[in-house]
Amino acid sequence: MSPALRPFARLLALRFGTLSTRIAVLYAGLFALVLGGVVSLAAEGLSRFGEASAARDLEANARVFDEILDARARQMGDQADVLGHDFGFREAVATGDAPTIASALTSLEERVRSDMAFVLTLEGEVLAADARGVPAPETLWARLDAGDTRGIIASETGVLALAAAAPIEAPDLIGWLVIAQPLDRAELDRLVELAPIALEAQVAEGGTQPGWLRNAGANAVFERDIEGERYLYHVFDLPVLQDGIAPRLVLRHGLAASLATYASLKWWLTALAAGGIVLVLGLSWKVARSVTEPLQQLDEAARLIGEGREVSLAVETGDEIGRLAESFNQMVAAIEERERQIIHVGLHDGLTGLPNRKLFTEQLANVLSRRRAGEQVLVAYIDLDDFKMVNDTLGHPAGDALLRMVADHLKKEQPDALIARLGGDEFAVLIDGIDEKASLGNIADRLQACFNRPLTINGQAASSSASIGIALAPGDGEDGITLMKNADLALYRAKREGKANYHFFEPALDEAARQRRQLELDLRTTIRDGGFVLNFQPLYSLAEKRLTGFEALIRWNHPVRGRVGPAEFIPLAEETGLIVPIGEWVLREACHQASGWPANVSVAVNVSPRQFAATGIASTVLSALSASGLAPHRLELEITESIFIADVEQTLATLHSLRNLGVKIALDDFGTGYSSLSYLRSFPFDKVKIDKSFVEDLGTSGNGHAVIRAITTLAAALGMETLAEGVEDIAQFEVLEREGCQNIQGYLFSRPVPAEAVADLLRDVSGYQRQLRA
Amino acid sequence: MRRAFVFALFVTFAAASFVWAAGGVPAIAAAATPAALRIQVVDGDGLPVRDAVVELRSARSPAGPIRFPWKMGMAQRNLQFTPGTLIVARGSTVAFPNLDNVRHSIYSFSKPARFEIELYGRDQTRTHTFAVVGSVKLGCNIHDQMRGYIRVTDTPFAGKTDHNGYITLSGMANGAARLTVWHPNLRTPGNETASSITVTGEAQNHKLKVAMR
Repeated sequence: MSPALRPFARLLALRFGTLSTRIAVLYAGLFALVLGGVVSLAAEGLSRFGEASAARDLEANARVFDEILDARARQMGDQADVLGHDFGFREAVATGDAPTIASALTSLEERVRSDMAFVLTLEGEVLAADARGVPAPETLWARLDAGDTRGIIASETGVLALAAAAPIEAPDLIGWLVIAQPLDRAELDRLVELAPIALEAQVAEGGTQPGWLRNAGANAVFERDIEGERYLYHVFDLPVLQDGIAPRLVLRHGLAASLATYASLKWWLTALAAGGIVLVLGLSWKVARSVTEPLQQLDEAARLIGEGREVSLAVETGDEIGRLAESFNQMVAAIEERERQIIHVGLHDGLTGLPNRKLFTEQLANVLSRRRAGEQVLVAYIDLDDFKMVNDTLGHPAGDALLRMVADHLKKEQPDALIARLGGDEFAVLIDGIDEKASLGNIADRLQACFNRPLTINGQAASSSASIGIALAPGDGEDGITLMKNADLALYRAKREGKANYHFFEPALDEAARQRRQLELDLRTTIRDGGFVLNFQPLYSLAEKRLTGFEALIRWNHPVRGRVGPAEFIPLAEETGLIVPIGEWVLREACHQASGWPANVSVAVNVSPRQFAATGIASTVLSALSASGLAPHRLELEITESIFIADVEQTLATLHSLRNLGVKIALDDFGTGYSSLSYLRSFPFDKVKIDKSFVEDLGTSGNGHAVIRAITTLAAALGMETLAEGVEDIAQFEVLEREGCQNIQGYLFSRPVPAEAVADLLRDVSGYQRQLRA
Repeated sequence: MRRAFVFALFVTFAAASFVWAAGGVPAIAAAATPAALRIQVVDGDGLPVRDAVVELRSARSPAGPIRFPWKMGMAQRNLQFTPGTLIVARGSTVAFPNLDNVRHSIYSFSKPARFEIELYGRDQTRTHTFAVVGSVKLGCNIHDQMRGYIRVTDTPFAGKTDHNGYITLSGMANGAARLTVWHPNLRTPGNETASSITVTGEAQNHKLKVAMR
């Protein structure tokens, strides 16, 4: 940026508190700048014009004045001529008749209003009535002799005078008649009055003038300041009739008077400009205000919105500002709507539209804080029974539809309750304002009743039964977190107790939960430090009449609680996933033990669904086999039908990969649960283990052996061995043998024994035989 | 003899000028002393000055009346004095014939001869006798431009220069002499200037430079 522009940039960079002030000041500044330029240009132009015209006037007047002077001299010359040609006068001069000359000259002076008249003879003699003041003849002679007739002369005393001369001829030139009129103040003033403009005239001998005037060029107008006043000067070199003098006519004209009219014009211009600037300042401030005021309102509104307050701008005009206010209002409305949606989404479940856990928790806290004495607040956790089955068998869309139906139904049946979906197939219900004496059982029953109706999804009937856990404030907890935890515990219990029922929270549940947590900790410790042992229960082959294998069964010697049964800790291990490391240990240990047995004795190991589903079951088996050196065909993995509940294809793939290792695979607990013949068809199990419930039935019902026969027949048809569990007496044994069951397991032969006892049992095969035949 | 000389002189100048206008050459002792003084009068620029009166005076002046070989008359013709410059000896009477159709007057304010002749008509003549040596300027009172000059002299060695500013004087005695030049426009007091010269008797050429107005 050029240095000249820098101040302007600084002005632009100035910070003003308000936009309107800045706009107004900048506009006014710009206007002032332009106007200032225009005014100063105009003023300068006016000055120049005034000065130029004054100079022109002076020049013209100087010419006029010159003419006036010349005319005056000519007039004097004419008058001198008249006398100079008078015969008598000539005679007087020629004959030196002094008295006549003097009288003639006196008469001439009076006639022509001249102060001085004299005759200069060719010989250089002066003849006059009064020779005082007449210049020295020798200074005049040359000019007169050269023919000059008009010019300035200086008297003896230095007074400058306008002179005219006329030759006197008799008949030859004998002298000159000279008349003169002093150019004194009065005379000059009289002459000046003839000029059209105000002039001051002065005739001065060049030598007596100040230097600046002396050096000034003749016949030119120039300006000079005298004591603060401006003057225009014009200088003439006057013609002279005398040698040795250089008189100059100085004409002076005061500029102030000439410029006065222009000066007032300049003031008017300046006043006009100042008025314009004030006007622009005011107008631009007003315009700026009309823009910035709505801006301020917007600013204020935006601030209020930021604080979360409701704001609406008044739309006053139809222009851009009005449209801006309108858009702003629309934006605010849109933001509020979106905010509401976001909050709704954040606090509601997308599938069912019910409040989610967060909102439920908040509402519960609200309700609890508002709870009055003598009132109870009920929190119920609801979990659909076997929802996973629906999802797996009918597909997720069907599952979602089921959830929506349940939600709608709940809302319809419990209009006063707050119903929330906590996730998955879990719902929560909040009912407040329950009187102390109200029947809680009725309330629970009504809740339960909501789920006791069949639903049809995609044309298929589906069960919608649910388990319900209920906790009540203030009895089961004063705060929401406790209540919800307790309701969850109650739900857990309800599930454990066979589903499709409700359970109220009891403090014992809390104790049970605490014990469960302790047991889980102990399990982890045991997995890390050891403490599990394997017992083995023999499997007897009716065909071979010998023990063909043992089923490995885990036992836990708890350091505090002593021996803990698998029924106590295996479900917990399943839930927590600890079954995977435990199962792995069992596999390795079983293989290790079996490797010490005779080659025709195999070992059977239970594989839990969780363990089966975990990745790497095949590699775990392979690793156990290779670590123990046991032949694969001597390892028999027992799985339950429940492994098929998960992904069937994945299950089959895993089964085949295990089969490829060479291990045997048995289907455990056959006949219970969701027994499906399709499982048998889909995979060629090596063995089917008939559940002990069927074996128990053999003693009580008459048709028990029909079932046994059906199973054995089916298995035989599919090329699978059969094994009956839980055989306790000889009657059961005989039926099983008669119906074609190929293997027997149970107390009839032996309880599970420690690993050390296995060898003894094998040696005592004959003892078994004896026992059976006995 | 003298008449013959004058005649011869007339013949000589006839072609060039009118009989009244021709400048004269002194006849005195023209044959006795062949030596002559030839003078040329020039102005400041070296141009010849015509009708300048040149007079030579020596210590020994010849005795006897002075006679000039031209007519002692100043005519007025065509509103001019003719000849414009006339040299006359002291005591001569000069006639002023009016040859014009208009009337003329004659005045002179000159010291040697101050006189005034009233208007007179055609074919009239007036005379005036000039008794004092000097120059007399004649004017006509009603015709300002008319100028006539009469030089009254007391030396026979006088004459006026011709077109080329020449004048030849002869017959003077040898020795120192004063040479006077007069012309109405001569820029000196009395319109005359004087200088010394030595007449050698030989043929002499002398150039005089004068300041003219």
